[in-house]
Amino acid sequence: MIRDSHQQAQELIACGGQDLSESQQAWLRTHLEGCASCREYAQSAEQFVRSLRSVPVVADLALVQTTQLRVRLRSRELLQRRQRMWLVWMSCVLVGLSVAITTPFLWRGWEWLAERAHVSTLVWQVGFMIFWLSPAVAASLLFLARGIHLTDTDGTTRG
Amino acid sequence: MNAAACYFVNGMESETSAIARGLRRRDPDLLDRLIEQYQHRLLRYLVYLTSNRELAEDMFQETWIRVLERGHQYNPKYEFSTWLFSIARNLTVDYLRKKKPASLDGLLDAEEGVSLDPPDLRPSPLDLLAQHEQAERISAALVGIAAEYREAIVLRFQEGLALEEIAAVTGAPLGTIKSRLYRGLNALLPRLKGAQA
Repeated sequence: MIRDSHQQAQELIACGGQDLSESQQAWLRTHLEGCASCREYAQSAEQFVRSLRSVPVVADLALVQTTQLRVRLRSRELLQRRQRMWLVWMSCVLVGLSVAITTPFLWRGWEWLAERAHVSTLVWQVGFMIFWLSPAVAASLLFLARGIHLTDTDGTTRG
Repeated sequence: MNAAACYFVNGMESETSAIARGLRRRDPDLLDRLIEQYQHRLLRYLVYLTSNRELAEDMFQETWIRVLERGHQYNPKYEFSTWLFSIARNLTVDYLRKKKPASLDGLLDAEEGVSLDPPDLRPSPLDLLAQHEQAERISAALVGIAAEYREAIVLRFQEGLALEEIAAVTGAPLGTIKSRLYRGLNALLPRLKGAQA
């Protein structure tokens, strides 16, 4: 028998029986009947697998309970974050709606005031833009100053 | 596919679908149940992967936190254990990369003989002496081979994963997995024989 067939047999043994096709299993059986060294290899592998499965590696109850507690705490944290984000989004939607509704009225109001005060068009329009943008700029600066309130509590990127 | 096989596949799919739905909801009761169900398998895999009980326990906790956070990514077409092991593996590899600037595979290259502490298997004090000795012999032999071989062997022979599942967990091609099993077993069996002699 050439060396390649031994290697092939040992490769099949190493892959484990269940994943072999019927023809591979039949070939392996025939080979093992006539090859003592591969039979010994198969027996050693089988014995190793039995021994490996008998090795007791178990998780402590404390580890399991700690993990469950950590997972529950993190789950609560994520829920709170989701609720905060929902509030932020709702605020954005409400602000957007309010801006869309009130801007034309404000614009006309400023125009009327500017006419009364004899202010040039450029000046009142620039003034209106500053007035109109300043709440959004102030809110953005506030969020930036608070920094990580929308990220995780430990400051790492998760999820 | 015969009726029994259909029933089995459908049963598995409905179970994994239920897990996927629960994970999307971040159902804490489901997670408690999964932690209990997979505690030993996951820890065993991590102990052999890291060769360090303490690190394995840390990774165990981090894995479940990651499962909670990324639960929506779980695809119910696959076994939950496959996804769980791949998360555990990625976390461990990332941790080891941060600790040492190399991947798990690179760190523990086959024949370089990187020294590792034998895993602390914490056998019960009531275990028989023979069983204890056998466990130590197996652990020592496993620690002596390359991590990628050890990982393939543990996933195949201890956890009973199919070759395709091991490929999915490790992200390696099927041929590589077969080769790792063959080489791993070839490296392992003489060590076990030597230890027995």
